[in-house]
Amino acid sequence: MNFFSKDSFKTGEEYSRAIIFLSPFIFLFFISFFQLLNLSVIQGDKYQTIAESNRIYQKAINPVRGFIYDRKGTLLAENIVQRDLYVTPAYVEDTKETIIKLSNLLELPYELLEKEYSNSLKDGKKYYSFPLIKALNEEQIAKIKVNLNSLSGIEVKATLKRYVLHDEIFAHILGYVGDISSEDIKKNKNLSDLQNIQIGKVGIEKEYDFILRGKSGIQTQERDVKGRLVRVLDTQGAENGDDIFLSIDQALQDHLYKLFKNRRGALVALEPKTGLIRALISSPSYNPNVLNSIVNSAEVESLFSNEDSPIFNRAISGQYPPASTLKPFVGLAAVEKKVISWDKKIKDDGEYFVEGDPRPFRGWKEDGHGQVDMKKAIVESSDVYFYNIAYDLTLSGIKPMLESFGFGQKTGLNEFESSGLLPDKKWKLGYKGDFWFKGDTINLGIGQGYILATPLQLALAYSALANKGPIYKPQLIQPNDELNFQPIKIADIKLSDFNNWTKMENALVEVIAARNGTANKIFDNDSVTIAGKTGTAQIKSILPGKEYDAIRENPALRDHALFVGYGPVIDPELVVAVIIENGESGSEVAAPIVKSAINFYVRGFDAK
Amino acid sequence: MRNKPLSFSVDIKLNKKNNIGDFDYSIVFTVIFLSLFGLAMVYSASGSSSLLIRQALYLFLGCSFMFLAAMSNFRKMEPIYLNGVWIGFFFLILVLILPNSGTTNRWINLGFITFQPSELMRFLLPISAAAYLSRNPQIRFTDWIVVLMTTLLAFVLVFLQPDFGTSAIVLLSGIIPIILSGIPWRIILFSFLAGIGTLPFLWMTLLDYQKERIFTFLSPEADVLGTGWNIAQSKIAIGSGQLFGKGYMEGSQSQLDFIPESHTDFIFAVIVEEFGFFGALALFLLYAYLIFRLLYVAKMSKSKFAKLVSGTLSIILAAYIALNISMVVGIFPVVGMPLPFISQGGTALVVNMITIGIILSLRRTT
Repeated sequence: MNFFSKDSFKTGEEYSRAIIFLSPFIFLFFISFFQLLNLSVIQGDKYQTIAESNRIYQKAINPVRGFIYDRKGTLLAENIVQRDLYVTPAYVEDTKETIIKLSNLLELPYELLEKEYSNSLKDGKKYYSFPLIKALNEEQIAKIKVNLNSLSGIEVKATLKRYVLHDEIFAHILGYVGDISSEDIKKNKNLSDLQNIQIGKVGIEKEYDFILRGKSGIQTQERDVKGRLVRVLDTQGAENGDDIFLSIDQALQDHLYKLFKNRRGALVALEPKTGLIRALISSPSYNPNVLNSIVNSAEVESLFSNEDSPIFNRAISGQYPPASTLKPFVGLAAVEKKVISWDKKIKDDGEYFVEGDPRPFRGWKEDGHGQVDMKKAIVESSDVYFYNIAYDLTLSGIKPMLESFGFGQKTGLNEFESSGLLPDKKWKLGYKGDFWFKGDTINLGIGQGYILATPLQLALAYSALANKGPIYKPQLIQPNDELNFQPIKIADIKLSDFNNWTKMENALVEVIAARNGTANKIFDNDSVTIAGKTGTAQIKSILPGKEYDAIRENPALRDHALFVGYGPVIDPELVVAVIIENGESGSEVAAPIVKSAINFYVRGFDAK
Repeated sequence: MRNKPLSFSVDIKLNKKNNIGDFDYSIVFTVIFLSLFGLAMVYSASGSSSLLIRQALYLFLGCSFMFLAAMSNFRKMEPIYLNGVWIGFFFLILVLILPNSGTTNRWINLGFITFQPSELMRFLLPISAAAYLSRNPQIRFTDWIVVLMTTLLAFVLVFLQPDFGTSAIVLLSGIIPIILSGIPWRIILFSFLAGIGTLPFLWMTLLDYQKERIFTFLSPEADVLGTGWNIAQSKIAIGSGQLFGKGYMEGSQSQLDFIPESHTDFIFAVIVEEFGFFGALALFLLYAYLIFRLLYVAKMSKSKFAKLVSGTLSIILAAYIALNISMVVGIFPVVGMPLPFISQGGTALVVNMITIGIILSLRRTT
């Protein structure tokens, strides 16, 4: 039979053939039916959930962060409207062209924008917008608005950002805010519920974040496929954060900050009777606004990599040898332990020897101070006198007294402070792997060697001298009613004879008032009476045969200058601790700042 | 004009004047019900009343043509049926010559109306083929060759637009009359194998977007925000409809535009989302009823022409429904096929209505 010959074809076979050729489609129809059954009945719940998540968008309503004021109501930190340029990738027609346009328009490098764009894009949510350029200035906003028609997928959105008014002056008190990092969430699980909100990272911003932050609201929105709002399903309003008033005195802080003139150092000024901190400076400082709204990451990086560590809070975390500022406490210990009386004189010829050690312990004055009693030893800061009494006191005689004044312990101000170091035998064996020598005790007698204290600790220890016993917990928050404020007493030192306090105070007054006082340079009749003590902290021990003049060639090895004082003596209102790193002379660089602080605080203006 | 009737219309009872309104009303009502349901769904999916009005006008136009065709004097239609294919070719060539706006070349704009010549062709071609194949009492082998060549030409013209889905339908609509009219099985089998052999060459002629559609079909979830978006969102809509649906105009996937082409190719997803599994089941049953009702004409008719036309057109209709639904539920590639009587689209609606009208007239007169 020929391939092309016709078969016998019966009438009616058209219908049966039609059924045969219909069958593939009927088959497809049945598969579709089972797929329909699978999707909408078997997997229906799953798809229902997906459809809901397509539709529902939970938009966080950010609360307004509380403002921060000083004790008199001067604004220190507020929020400002920042306008950021947002991109929605789905609506950007030509990514490259758009970035080139923006780069030309705003005069920003193309590479920077391109990098930022591709970094932010990785999330894969092409309908959700992200900030490409932060903190646009007026000129940039104007340029974008004019060109908005030719830039699809670009919009300018306003958000509230933390703004600090006095630039770097209050930086270490206030701290800064930032986005919630994965590490923050590790420490505090509750943070994972917050979106697009900034939290305090350090300082008051962190410590009182729970007050300042407020509570986020949530708006449940129905959005269409392009992320456009269709309708609002539910709104839970945000609760704004509360304001905070600091104990800091803005005018005082402002005045004192200028005196630092970019020198490295720190200052703590507090009210001895309440523990309220009135000024707190760490220099060099930084502008928290740079970190509050990170616009330029290079600028941020340079802050953190700066050798002078401007971010570091020297006032509460910086640990320095207290040097001669420790002498009043060692002196009081000696008097209490009856190692020496107030009038007993010791000959100071500039050197002190411990038996069995040919190496002399030298005083700061080469020829010595001659015959010195306690008062003269404080006024002239005789090292040899204190070598003697430290030797007689031994470590166990010195340490408890220093401990009672708060050395070696955190003051309880906040989580950021350091505890300083009050060394003992156990510590030395553990950390230095060596026994405690008599020489260590002698060094401790003049505040050198291993002992370290923070400026805050020094200020508090001197507040005990000013109060003749009590130490109050330091705090940065202004009480609502200052007159009836009940400060928390964290220590109350009792001396066997109350006159010991007065005698030590007289000596500290003469440090400034007496002609032979180490800080007589700052004496002037116009000033309120100040009691205080200078200190010069060696940071490099002088080896035999090597003179300090050779060491000071390197500015980084020069001695730290300290001064801690309070005034007016008759009714102390302010105690101030100042340290100037590598400042060399306590009387020349540190003491004037203390004097200025007390006069400014007490009288409202500086003494001449 | 010849006076002698063609072979295919000799057995048509032209003298029965009293049966002008004697239609199969179950078909008429099913079709009109489906179309009205389509109007409602187009409105739900698009939310556009202007689109609704336009579709309603097309429905009115379609209904008029359907009744006109159903009541037509069959003898006078002979030359139109036989030569209709040339009208189709005219427009298919015209659409390729006319300047086009996008990447595809499918529409002819007559100013007041736009229409798709390929839709016209997939309706004219099987009628002309059936007429040609049954114009003589005996089919000659060359008749099949002529029909096949005509079909391939039409297929190529549609493919060049390019319109993958409709070109396949055009091919089918020309070949089915050949098969139904009795071409030997061995030739069908041989051609089928030869057709598979040419598939690789056909693949090479596909445009990138057409290939992409097929890839997308093979793994839609791989790139949910990219090309698989359509299928993924369509499945979410269907699944989330569950048993009883979310209610008319209440489907979040369709109302919030997550379903692409929701008023045209993907309208079935909107139906399932809003009316659920049972709603889809009802629609399935309605379509099944319609197709077998149309097939019944092919079975009962004494005319070879009527058998070929109604057989072919009901297969084409079934093909449209099965391919569209299987594409929307994600078991077939997205080929761009509307759901008959329901999807928005004037040409398809009018053409489908006329098809029904012709089958009604064949049933009435044979």
